[in-house]
Amino acid sequence: MAELLGVLSTPHETVAAIERLQKAGFKKLDVYSPVQSHEIEHALDRGPSRVRAWTLIGGLTGVTVGYAAQILAAYDWPMVIGGKPFASIPAYTIVAFELTILFGGVLTVLGLVAHGFLGASRQNPAYRPAFSQDEFGFLVECHSDQIGRVQELLGEAGCKEVRVVEG
Amino acid sequence: MVSVTDSSPETPTQISDEVFRTLEPPTPIYVLAVLFVMLLVGAAIAGLAYQTYAGFGGIGVTGLMHPVMWGVYITCFVFWVGIAHAGTLISAVLYLFRARWRNAINRSAEAMTVFAVITAALFPLIHIGRLWKFYFMLPYPNQRQLWVNFKSPLEWDVFAVQTYMIISILFFFVGLIPDLAAARDRCTDWRKYLYTALALGWRGTSEQWRHHARAVLHLSGLATPLVLSVHSVVSWDFAMSLVPGWHTTIFAPYFVAGAIFSGIAMVITLIVPVRKAFGLEGVIRAEHFDNMGKFLLLTSCIVGYSYGVEYFMAWYSGNVFEQQSFWARAFGDYWWASWTMIICNVVVPLPLWFKRVRLSVVAMWIISIFVNIGMWFERFVIITTGLSHEYDSSAWGYYTPGLVEITILIGSFAWFFMWFLIALRLIPMVAISEVKELYFHDQEAKAGTG
Repeated sequence: MAELLGVLSTPHETVAAIERLQKAGFKKLDVYSPVQSHEIEHALDRGPSRVRAWTLIGGLTGVTVGYAAQILAAYDWPMVIGGKPFASIPAYTIVAFELTILFGGVLTVLGLVAHGFLGASRQNPAYRPAFSQDEFGFLVECHSDQIGRVQELLGEAGCKEVRVVEG
Repeated sequence: MVSVTDSSPETPTQISDEVFRTLEPPTPIYVLAVLFVMLLVGAAIAGLAYQTYAGFGGIGVTGLMHPVMWGVYITCFVFWVGIAHAGTLISAVLYLFRARWRNAINRSAEAMTVFAVITAALFPLIHIGRLWKFYFMLPYPNQRQLWVNFKSPLEWDVFAVQTYMIISILFFFVGLIPDLAAARDRCTDWRKYLYTALALGWRGTSEQWRHHARAVLHLSGLATPLVLSVHSVVSWDFAMSLVPGWHTTIFAPYFVAGAIFSGIAMVITLIVPVRKAFGLEGVIRAEHFDNMGKFLLLTSCIVGYSYGVEYFMAWYSGNVFEQQSFWARAFGDYWWASWTMIICNVVVPLPLWFKRVRLSVVAMWIISIFVNIGMWFERFVIITTGLSHEYDSSAWGYYTPGLVEITILIGSFAWFFMWFLIALRLIPMVAISEVKELYFHDQEAKAGTG
């Protein structure tokens, strides 16, 4: 297998290049982008991020811990406060709500780290600093005998530079 | 009148160049400013040490005395929590509403939020006097199996403010990652190591952007109800009591509107000198000042309406205690504080109805400073006049802040500015990747391809 890198200048050019390569039957594509681009995300069509499951699990854990901790604490040392029941659900909703947000937010970030970052730095021999500034890097994985064809397609897509990735 | 002009950068590289100018070696004025605020912070620390260890009975060195047991410290707590609201509003709420103009100012607003919450969180500790007992507020498993009172608004506050602090820091950090990577790829000095560590190996791959976008969306969704809840909970510190002037249902929305009002004002106060000092005129442009001006005006109207409703309800309720409390607020011992609050928060922002004023940097800056002063006084008026004038006329009193309190009040502003100044030199203060995203979007729209 070989990997080719094409360098482009705008998200629009990158989307056109993705569509061109996809049409030619190449499916293993990736993009380095200095900006978030819904168009690129849409063109690559990877489906929804799994980070959303982390948020849901965090939120549900938070609300459960929030109510459970307060109710358990109330019955651990029962005291009548303001003539209310030991387990006063309306009053406990405040802390349960805050913990929903807290756990949901923390797990969202952990999910981002787990899916987006772990091991990410080792997988990027093609990366160059300009991809965090103003250039878009378009990576295509192909068989060694298809290199010429991919180079041709990337050239047609308007790449400023096309090269085979080493390492 | 100095007006803002539109001169957008021509290329993505120019956007980076403009923003990264803030990370260049500091000028002597910057160093002097940092030293000055550090001096004031040092004075406040000395004041706190005097209060804590001088042997005069802890907060006995302050002006706090029956009946006014909450004073400048709690005023500062509420004020700084309020200031912290603009960052989340601009970042999360405007993100969900797809208000594109937020991109130029969201980073500084988020940084401000983090530093304001850190400042606010100090005040309950300073106020309790015995700093080392602060952990009594936390529900930790202990030998006596003694738990905190979860039915108390003060305990709700502990959870609300801590959640807000953690979520604000996470939100700030997640948004910062792509820009930290850009800084890593540009810097050559020692900071390269710092940015490399903080960027967590960000390369801007489509996978990373996909998860990042989802995480930012979810954090915004979580932070939006959080921002509304935090100042509501702070307001319930007062509204859940039976003190005349405090015990009212309007407090939660009234406090949230006030928080956004003061927060936006603080953003303007900070951003005007930063924009001038670092030549960010091309990134922070006319539309940003216009929109922030509209925000100030809207929230000023809500706050003004709330003042009116408070007085109206005091009269309309027929409750003599409520009536005398509000009469004392307007014409009693604290008339000067009440009228400062009304003039700064309701009258001074009125010129913002005119677009010419909203587009004037100097006018916006002056108005924002008045609003900061007015909003501090709003918290002072609510707390102090309420407590000094309760039910029993024999228990009325007058509170004058002590020297230690004034020193710590000034020190809190210095502490806040100190962190902001330090961050200014370490962190790209404009969200570069988001401004570039807008740039590409506009370019493609112009070319008819977007």
